Amino acid sequence: MSEKELGKKLDRCLADSAVKLGAGLGLGIVFSVVFFKRHTWPVAFGLGMGLGMAYTNCQNDLRAPYLIQRNIKMAS
Amino acid sequence: MCLYTFMPGVTFNKACFSVIKYVALRHPLSCLISVSFFFSHRLATKVTIAGGALYVTYDSGLLGGSAQGSEVLGKAKAAIPPAVDEWVKYFGFELPAFPKMGFSPVEAWNSGVQSSISALSSGPTALGGYTNQGLQYLKDLTK
Repeated sequence: MSEKELGKKLDRCLADSAVKLGAGLGLGIVFSVVFFKRHTWPVAFGLGMGLGMAYTNCQNDLRAPYLIQRNIKMAS
Repeated sequence: MCLYTFMPGVTFNKACFSVIKYVALRHPLSCLISVSFFFSHRLATKVTIAGGALYVTYDSGLLGGSAQGSEVLGKAKAAIPPAVDEWVKYFGFELPAFPKMGFSPVEAWNSGVQSSISALSSGPTALGGYTNQGLQYLKDLTK
């Protein structure tokens, strides 16, 4: 993986993290207001879910070249 | 729901409770049906709202992969200034202009990182050179 490619992947990771955290926060607020009588824990849960999804996406994106090589080896 | 539509000052809960009370006083056997209708109706509204929010989030690609997420962020960045301008024109007031910075934080950070890493990489060599110079100076003193 070249340095330029790594930089692009990290930029994508940061952007995706911001989007996932925002979506988790928004959904947490909606569920907190609608179902859970404006408690704080659904908001924290939504933020945690968003952070976890962003982390998993970053991990898969950074591991992608190595996974492809492994799949080719297993197929042959 | 009819009471709520035509009487804006009355909340949804008060309207539903007043309907249930009316029905329960006149037809006690239907009290159970009216209460269950109230709770199922309210629950259906809540489920619709939460489900709609979840569907909109999924449909706009906010819960997808990294590439989709960065695309959505790019689209949002492009859409926000025209939307802000539209709302400002609608409300009829001017926002103060965004202050322009004289330097770029990204460039400053990158140059700082490069300087630090180059100093760290050349640090042992420079330290060795200074040490040798110091030892040579002390040897010259003792001669």
